[in-house]
Amino acid sequence: MKRNECIAMLLAGGQGSRLLALTKSIAKPAVSFGGKYRIIDFSLSNCANSGINTVGVLTQYRPFLLNSYISSGASWNLNSRDGGVFVLPPYETESGGSWYQGTADAIFRNIEFLNLYDSEYVLILSGDHLYRMDYRKMLENHKAKGADLSVSVIQVPWEDASRFGIITADDEGRIVKFTEKPAEPDSNLASMGIYIFNKDVLVKALIEDSTDETSDHDFGKNIIPKLLAEGKNLFTYEFSGFWKDVGTIPAYHETSMELLDDEPAFVLDDPDFPFMSNSNIYPPQYIGANADVKQSLVSNGCNVKGKVHHSILSTNAVVEEGALVKDSVLLPGSKVEKGATVIKAILGENAVVKSGCTLGSDEEGSEIALIGNDEIYGEGGQQ
Amino acid sequence: MDKVIGIVVANYDTPEMETLTGERTIASLPYCGRYRLIDFPLSNMVNSGIETVGLVLPYKYRSIIDHIGIGKEWSLDKKNGGLFILPGSAFGISSSSNRFVLRDFGRNSVYLHRSPAPYVVVTATNIICNIDYAKLAKAHIESGADITMVQTTARRDNKYLSTIVSENGRVTDVYRGVKKGEKAFIDSFIINRQLLVDIIEGYKAVSYSDLFDCLKGSYGQFNVRTFEFEGYGKSIFDIDSYFDGNMDSLVYEVDKALFSPERPILTKEQDSVPTKYDRNCEVRNATIPAGCKISGRVEKSVLFRHVIVEEGATVKNSIIMQDCVIKAGAHVENAIIDRGNTIDCNMVIKGTEEKKMIIPKKNI
Repeated sequence: MKRNECIAMLLAGGQGSRLLALTKSIAKPAVSFGGKYRIIDFSLSNCANSGINTVGVLTQYRPFLLNSYISSGASWNLNSRDGGVFVLPPYETESGGSWYQGTADAIFRNIEFLNLYDSEYVLILSGDHLYRMDYRKMLENHKAKGADLSVSVIQVPWEDASRFGIITADDEGRIVKFTEKPAEPDSNLASMGIYIFNKDVLVKALIEDSTDETSDHDFGKNIIPKLLAEGKNLFTYEFSGFWKDVGTIPAYHETSMELLDDEPAFVLDDPDFPFMSNSNIYPPQYIGANADVKQSLVSNGCNVKGKVHHSILSTNAVVEEGALVKDSVLLPGSKVEKGATVIKAILGENAVVKSGCTLGSDEEGSEIALIGNDEIYGEGGQQ
Repeated sequence: MDKVIGIVVANYDTPEMETLTGERTIASLPYCGRYRLIDFPLSNMVNSGIETVGLVLPYKYRSIIDHIGIGKEWSLDKKNGGLFILPGSAFGISSSSNRFVLRDFGRNSVYLHRSPAPYVVVTATNIICNIDYAKLAKAHIESGADITMVQTTARRDNKYLSTIVSENGRVTDVYRGVKKGEKAFIDSFIINRQLLVDIIEGYKAVSYSDLFDCLKGSYGQFNVRTFEFEGYGKSIFDIDSYFDGNMDSLVYEVDKALFSPERPILTKEQDSVPTKYDRNCEVRNATIPAGCKISGRVEKSVLFRHVIVEEGATVKNSIIMQDCVIKAGAHVENAIIDRGNTIDCNMVIKGTEEKKMIIPKKNI
């Protein structure tokens, strides 16, 4: 096996409970986004486009869809001879087993995986974020600075800074302070939860942290402060593109609707750095003779006979005759039956709005209507 | 279906479609928005449970290999079995309308000799349909036939297809050309492997002939039966049928029957983004794959990947292939615009219902 310079460990165990019904049966990284993607596609594509061909995906919460979706990793060109994608759920040992107790614990319990691949650097990622990033640039910066740990940071509006792990750095980018969710931030550089470690430094820190009973075994709360206190070389890598954590239903809806802007902030289509997905092979869209589709994104397998305005139709979504879909997101396989109206709503995967029913409203201040995966709205279901 | 191997014969060409084929083969002609003709027979094979498929290729095979690769999308990249590329014969085929030239089998008899499977399903690539060969194999095995040919009732006269004449279920003759209402051979059959090997050997002297021409006059010696296919089928042998077949996907029922989720037509996977429909676009009755941008008008048309229809442009009753740009104000009607063309601002490309305007593939 050829030794890789850098491997990635992708944390994909997030429950995403604030996404409510969308994560009822699947983990947050498996949630559909942008018509044909799942959230984890963006991180996996970033890895592949950055030349990283070995990715450990740490799963635990409702892993089945994610496991089958990731499969061999071929969809992201990650099925390589010297690497590949490996799903790493918590496993039982002689002394029993338990869920991963924190982000650092998840990596600690897969130290043997790190040792197996024995790369010089380890990239730690979260599978929850939407962004396009070339990790090679971050690695170059890491090497140039002679860092033990690099933390990717992004400037956030000052008023939001107290929601993030905030980093204070000097002019050279050397990290002098790290505060998790500070009440009174003295910097607006937020950690993106993307780290590059020298492998030896990481392994040593994880082993030490594992025996610390006061630790939450979290990178932000424990590992970074610990290395900082030890006087290790910690540097920032400043990123300045689109980066978003769609952690809540309003954020998910808003970010989806922004894809429909004339010049969207998050560009899905970039042939030089393409987002890849295991989208399977569905037929082209069928647009009926009385259909009316405007300012929308429509994916393969869709079937449109009604009106679709300013909406996203994911793979295999169906809009029947006389139906109206507006300012909404239809997730894969969802269906709006004849004459139904769906406004400012999110339909989960395979959700159905029965014919003639009205879901959601575009009145000022109205909330986003949400129908969960596999749920039926209308007769026989929820009204 | 471990008793059945497949052969897809893609070594067919015709001058009737030269404007579209060029460097392509007929089997690799783009079809219905994101497919190529070859996708249909290959998908039918694997959907029927056939896991070993030999593909007889013409000499200009680049476009087919480019599309199929090692057969990954059809799960034919296997340790045992899978896809076998079989070189077809190069001469004497373009002038004839033969689909099952004996030489194409003879040159690849190793493929037949090495297989332990007793049956071979053979199909050409010009018939678009979604067929379950498992049913054909079952009928064939139960009847004890030597060969079972798939037939359907011809919906119109067709000079390219063959008529099957049969009495009490036994085929007595097969001849070129079919009249509306007669039984048409849709270029798929199942044959006992040993018999195919024997025929190849026995007719070596006339190896340039079509299998069914060789059998002419000998049908009495063999147990040749028919199997009725009742689903949607479309034969593609000239520009008109190619155009009509594409347009058939605009009929909802045809679209649903051909692209059934249970028996999906598989094709090369691409990472196209969802199609963007702009605020002023107008799309009525269209087949559109991912990766397009529509700002203008599209009516009764089939688009392929990465087509851009700019504002004020109109596409009507046309096929627009991959990577074409229809610039602002342009008007395209009754036309086939082949891959990679840009139709300039305000340009008018207009054929008639009877004679489509064809803009050939842009050579890059």
